[in-house]
Amino acid sequence: MSLALKSTVAHVGRRAGVTQVGLLGSRLLHSSKINQMAEKASQSASTPVTTEPITALAKQGSMQLSLETPQNKAEYVLSTLDKVSNWARQGSMWPMTFGLACCAVEMMHMAAARYDQDRLGVVFRASPRQSDIMIVAGTLTNKMAPALRKVYDQMPEPRWVISMGSCANGGGYYHYSYSVVRGCDRIVPVDIYVPGCPPTAEALLYGMLQLQRKMRRSRKGVIW
Amino acid sequence: MVSLLRTIRSVRRVGLREWWRQMQYIGDAKSGTYVGKDQFGNRYFENRNGEEEIPGRHRWVDFAQHDFNATQVPPEWHSWISHIRKEPPTNDSVMQNLSPPWQAPYVENLTGTRGAYKPYNTVVPKINAWEPSVKPRA
Repeated sequence: MSLALKSTVAHVGRRAGVTQVGLLGSRLLHSSKINQMAEKASQSASTPVTTEPITALAKQGSMQLSLETPQNKAEYVLSTLDKVSNWARQGSMWPMTFGLACCAVEMMHMAAARYDQDRLGVVFRASPRQSDIMIVAGTLTNKMAPALRKVYDQMPEPRWVISMGSCANGGGYYHYSYSVVRGCDRIVPVDIYVPGCPPTAEALLYGMLQLQRKMRRSRKGVIW
Repeated sequence: MVSLLRTIRSVRRVGLREWWRQMQYIGDAKSGTYVGKDQFGNRYFENRNGEEEIPGRHRWVDFAQHDFNATQVPPEWHSWISHIRKEPPTNDSVMQNLSPPWQAPYVENLTGTRGAYKPYNTVVPKINAWEPSVKPRA
């Protein structure tokens, strides 16, 4: 299924491409005969040129789509309730700052004037009991791991975790150290991984936006 | 830089319909010259008048999709909108000639959708979930 989706994805991208003629022309030069045949077959199979974006294709059969397109009145009511709660949640994300290392500096940059997280309703809270997101920013050591888990357990549901930087994602530079946890997903369930060493404030903010996308997808009312 | 005068000027230039769209998606009444459109239908604008736009806000994009996302800007236009290149790709001969034949078509970030990239692993997992087992009491 995923293979079919990927091939359709590739075709849509090709259809949307500007340099289509040049691309095909060069393919004729470079690729073997069988490849060319396959190319032609796929081109003719995808005759109706749709201009729908690739996200529409990627959404087929997903929870997001069933949330957006209710089938009957009951689903309409329930999905609207879901949308309202999702909207409220994504509009005020309060992250618990778990700044462990240099990534925390970039996290502070996200809060500062240039990237200005406040315009998204993101406000840092120092207490886990008042926050719903935890940003794990930096190297998680073995010594810190029980504290991280305890803080996570103190957060109220629903809660999300953003793993920020190589060290939190998978140990990073300290992967082979004797005292470092090889990724904070061994301790807490992680929703968004932000790559980088350290990630820029822009990347972290983009991660927050991706988490908003994830929040918009969540369903509590429409559970079928 | 948001002022009543600037808003009225922009609305008069772009029209009520476009202004309403801008307020929904950009959150500001902007007006400038139309620079071009990419293959996804996103429209790009520029206003280099320092009286009307703050430097840094003088190039902007109007996304085609409702659920917009910064990765919907293809790399050619990204280099224009973030001032890596001076000319837009429609005018930039270097950019037009640089596109290699083996370049894959650009796809936006599909994280969180069904098209997301998922690597597969054939190795036995190193971590296993904890399955608590209680010894029967004697």
